[in-house]
Amino acid sequence: MFPIAHSEFIQLFRNRAVLISGLIMPVAASIYFIYNRDVFSQIGSIGFVGALLAFTIAVFTLYATTVTALAARRQSLFLKRLRSTAASDPAILAGLVLPVVGISLVQVSFVLGVFAVVGGRPADTALLVVAVLAGFAMMLALGLATAGITNSPEHAQVTTLPVSLGVIAVASWVGITGTESLAALKRALPGGAATELVVNAWDGAAPLGDSLLLLAPTLGWVIVAIALASRMFRWEPRR
Amino acid sequence: MEQLTEKVGAVPDRRLLAGGASPGPVIEVEGLNVTYGDFPAVKDLSFQVQPGELYALLGTNGAGKTSALEVIEGHRPASSGRVRVFGQSPTDRAATRPRMGIMLQESGFSADLTVAESLRLIGRLSGRSDRVDRVLGVVDLTRKADTRVAQLSGGERRRLDFATALYGRPELIILDEPTTGLDIQSRDALWEAVDQLREQGSTIVLTTHYLEEAQQYADRVGLMHQGTLRSQGTVSELTRALPAAIEFSLPQGAPAPPIPFATRDGGAVLIETFELQRDLKHLLDWAEVNMLELSGLSAAPTRLDDVFRDIGTTPVPATP
Repeated sequence: MFPIAHSEFIQLFRNRAVLISGLIMPVAASIYFIYNRDVFSQIGSIGFVGALLAFTIAVFTLYATTVTALAARRQSLFLKRLRSTAASDPAILAGLVLPVVGISLVQVSFVLGVFAVVGGRPADTALLVVAVLAGFAMMLALGLATAGITNSPEHAQVTTLPVSLGVIAVASWVGITGTESLAALKRALPGGAATELVVNAWDGAAPLGDSLLLLAPTLGWVIVAIALASRMFRWEPRR
Repeated sequence: MEQLTEKVGAVPDRRLLAGGASPGPVIEVEGLNVTYGDFPAVKDLSFQVQPGELYALLGTNGAGKTSALEVIEGHRPASSGRVRVFGQSPTDRAATRPRMGIMLQESGFSADLTVAESLRLIGRLSGRSDRVDRVLGVVDLTRKADTRVAQLSGGERRRLDFATALYGRPELIILDEPTTGLDIQSRDALWEAVDQLREQGSTIVLTTHYLEEAQQYADRVGLMHQGTLRSQGTVSELTRALPAAIEFSLPQGAPAPPIPFATRDGGAVLIETFELQRDLKHLLDWAEVNMLELSGLSAAPTRLDDVFRDIGTTPVPATP
């Protein structure tokens, strides 16, 4: 796993397009949100800004880069090459996603850390960590599933749009309007419960027990996405 | 080539290391079927590859050899039948991959890694150990070690492909169209390296469209057509079934040649014979006695190409 992760790390930093779209742009967008935190917190809450930051990294660094990288490796038959070795399928997949998972976790830690310094500390840091990890697990699993229907890195620009825009829209909807109305629907949508969890962790607006229940829909999406990925993921280009 | 011999020939024969006991087949294929939907790509394929052997699996386009090879490589499940590599299922990568090197038909490298990084990665994952600089030296890519794969020519990528297969001197090497896209010097160097590996006891499975390579290097050949194994044996066994050809032209008014089975189209004569040397001598004696010039005379033994063409034009036997 680690030799694959090492080579993947090298490739991410050598590919200018991935470096800009997957690694630099999300940080630039995060800086914009932090700089304009007062505007965004007025339409939602300070926790909403935290959720926006977390999902910006989760969607554009973790999800989009995972889909793009896996599609590129499959298109070039690199996945087939890796399967010609003694490495197992889980080890290959883990090695391929490990760098982008690591980079996105470093990014989100840095961005939320900066936001906590300039915008105020979260009410429950431990809950925030759990919320972010649950959201990231969901986006990673959705990335594996989406990679199954993505033929090339260019194709990834299209196939990632529904989930990317959908999750950001749901996060914004939940963050701005709260869950007093249409709570079940908002929590059932991908990213809805995770957003509410981040908002609660930052704003301290709900009892811990109620917040932990919000993990269930997010973990449900993880299970659904893994089931989809196991059915849809392909190791070789479609002939 | 001396340098190459020195580099490759440093390892003792594994068969001797194994105690000299007669080992079982390296590859066993029994009743293999591969179907895509309703289309049977491979039908009831059976063959074995013995230790130290170079077995060439040849076939017409769409014959099913790539599908069969992919099952042997563990890349594709068999629809039915049994395939064993070193007595193990080829999908058991941990058990089989450290002992087998695979040269894929298509490249499969990441464009953003360098040659040395690519080889080091695949080598480490293969479960074998070797020195990257040694292997790059064998395939003459030492100068390209720090070049990114994206900047390699097609031939250089094939050589890198070959490097991943021979890394760690595996006991079994599968070469899928190894010389396609290589220039003549690179081809010669590749076969030189294969010869050296065979001297150390490696078993080779080869597919190629260059029949002269199979004719020259293969111990045994399996000929596939429309999903079935139509013929199998040594080159001489396969070519023995077809007649050799003697061709020449006779002047107008010349008598008929003294050899039966001659066909004549105007002045051009074709003699198909299973006794090439005897019939050629008979023909030359006849021409000398009759003071005839056999213009454009050529006499050629049966080649693998002829067997290949014959299989391509013979209908597949109906399945009972």
